[in-house]
Amino acid sequence: MKMNLLSVMLVAMLAVGCSPEQPTEPVNPPTEDTTKVEYALVNPNATAETRRVFSILVDNYGRKTLSGTMARVDWNTDEAEYVYRWTGQYPALNCFDFINIAASRDVNPNGWLDYSDISPVENWWKAGGLVSCMWHWQVRANNGTNLTCTPGTEPTETSFNADCLDDTQSADYKQLVKDIDQVAGYLKQLQQAGIPVIWRPLHEGAGNSTQYQGGGAWFWWGAKGSLAYVRLWRFMYDRLVKHHGLNNLIWVWNSQLGDEAWYPGDDVVDIVGRDNYYALSYPLAKEYKQLAASWPNKIITLAECGNGDEVEMSPYTKIWQQGSRWSWFMPWYDHSYQKGSDDHMYAGKQWWLDAQQSGVVLFREDLPSANR
Amino acid sequence: MKYSLLIALLLVGSLCSMATERTVLVGPKTIGRGWQDNIVLETRHFAAAKAGDVLTVYVDRVRPSAQMAMQRPSTWSGITAAYSAMPVTNPMRMTITDEMLPVLREEGLRLGGHDYRICSVSLTDAEDYRETIVWKGPSVTMADNWSVSAELMGSCFRDLQEGDGIVLHVSHVRDGAKAKLSDITWNPICRAADGMDVAGEGVTLYLTDIEPLIHIGLGGTGTNTALRIGGTGYRLNKVGIVRCTAEPDMDLSTAQRAPKEYRLRPGELYRGEKTFASDWSDNLRITAQHLQDMTINDVIIFRYDLVPEAPKNEISIRRTETWGDIGAGSEPQFLPLDGTDYVMTMDSVTLDHIKTRGFIVTAAGITLRRILLVSTSSN
Repeated sequence: MKMNLLSVMLVAMLAVGCSPEQPTEPVNPPTEDTTKVEYALVNPNATAETRRVFSILVDNYGRKTLSGTMARVDWNTDEAEYVYRWTGQYPALNCFDFINIAASRDVNPNGWLDYSDISPVENWWKAGGLVSCMWHWQVRANNGTNLTCTPGTEPTETSFNADCLDDTQSADYKQLVKDIDQVAGYLKQLQQAGIPVIWRPLHEGAGNSTQYQGGGAWFWWGAKGSLAYVRLWRFMYDRLVKHHGLNNLIWVWNSQLGDEAWYPGDDVVDIVGRDNYYALSYPLAKEYKQLAASWPNKIITLAECGNGDEVEMSPYTKIWQQGSRWSWFMPWYDHSYQKGSDDHMYAGKQWWLDAQQSGVVLFREDLPSANR
Repeated sequence: MKYSLLIALLLVGSLCSMATERTVLVGPKTIGRGWQDNIVLETRHFAAAKAGDVLTVYVDRVRPSAQMAMQRPSTWSGITAAYSAMPVTNPMRMTITDEMLPVLREEGLRLGGHDYRICSVSLTDAEDYRETIVWKGPSVTMADNWSVSAELMGSCFRDLQEGDGIVLHVSHVRDGAKAKLSDITWNPICRAADGMDVAGEGVTLYLTDIEPLIHIGLGGTGTNTALRIGGTGYRLNKVGIVRCTAEPDMDLSTAQRAPKEYRLRPGELYRGEKTFASDWSDNLRITAQHLQDMTINDVIIFRYDLVPEAPKNEISIRRTETWGDIGAGSEPQFLPLDGTDYVMTMDSVTLDHIKTRGFIVTAAGITLRRILLVSTSSN
């Protein structure tokens, strides 16, 4: 009896499907075609090298993912070396951090690093790698001694006012401009060396204020709310691009999800990024689709990733299969990494081997020669 | 014959008085990722404990970022601030203070953290730790900006050995006080010495491997500075070196045993013996890690035993962030259990949440044995 009923239903369905009166629809809806969107740099004066790097990102977006590593804290390619040891290939991109500009020897005789020595970046670029820079922008803590990004009233936190742009005589405003100008100097050195920078300042501005009741910003640049944050972003854009003439920057803004009010604007953002430390394939796919829907004219990238305490990051094969199409991924560095180990807090040898064998992840040698 | 008896009596007497390190917990107990695992040392172990006794936790399988917490069981906070989260070395030690004793006797001690395994835990009498004061001041008050330090000469550490502890005797301790022990070149002598929490009357850094000895040795054994003790928020009054003279006690008859550990099989989200008290104070967190490929047709099965004479046998599955009900409704559901499997079916809201963030199991009056993910689509 069941079989008979099934047969009747099948015949009926086929009859409906074959009816010439029915509108025809494709069996499978078209997949997301990122080539239909015209992605463009916001800076019309971008250098030729910068446009080339951007075109590499555009050309691969939706088809392949670029691999990335984060400097170990500030100004090096240590993590890229680990990946090379594990896989025999260097990642496509390395990100540097201006976190320690106060300790740079060009401004501090007692400093322990030198951002004005751009050779770590230049060597990477000349070897064919893409360059990204971010900025854990540390300011003076309330105790007058420490440096920190963390807002608050405790001695080791900072009350630095991100909303100081109207008070040009304030100490905070002067410090803000001084710091931007210092970083501009390093970025200018890179520009003069012909090195484009995928530039990701003021990251994670909204903190978790849009995710949880009682949440808040975890960096001072978000502590005064979305309006002050957007103004600060646009101020930095103007200062770097228009005042300093930096045309080698590709501007990446970090979304914390649900934070459209924090978006600085289509005219000052090239790429929308996401940082995720519960990097499992399903939530990542959800977030990717959410961001791609919110900013359809921008490339979407996984600017930082890793696992929190609870989970291991999903293999990239799984992440891709689940539907994520991040422009690049960048696992965070492992501060306690033991030299020679295959184990890594976020992405160890096995994770990278999977990425390498996925067929969708690009390494340095896979890139067209953007720098030559 | 008389002499033989005398010698035998003397031997027995000396053995009886020999200092011993009494094992109170036999492992292994894995403290895995994410602060999820812990074990509570029973109160009976501390019935005769006194201030100055030392608890030693022997560990292995320590990941580089591992942390240990020694907590008050009822509040899950560090038994003192210094023990809320520490980098893990082998062994870890805690000197019992007067402040800790009431808690230990009434509640025991919870050992938690992440990324290491407990092999065993022992207790040693205070008398078996001999301390020699090597620096008597004048006292140094640590400034807010970490700019002040006491400088100790190499001669203070002439007899220092691996396994010894450096004891900082402190006063005027403020919230957030930290100590940093650096060598002659201002490098911390080991990772644990780079910002140790300071609380109460003192803090002890045990030298569990050769690294800190090498650092201290850079200053020589003469009048050069060998150790700089700095930090913030406390006054340093004295520094001692403490050494344990006890031998391990091989009698394990009174030791607590860690629960048997199980390795998960394919399809298992949990396997073990977790008893949920009737007051709903226990919970188990299941991460989204193994739920990524789950479909709406799949089910999660909870297999358990009822706790005899428990006033109720119920289960409640919650959201990870809000602790609200796992389903679409906001009010938690308390589902009665009768001893048969509890089968959790999926709707789109539940499925989305558990694939995104996992879920929390709370229950009363049951011992949970297994949680199984069963894929109906593959049958």
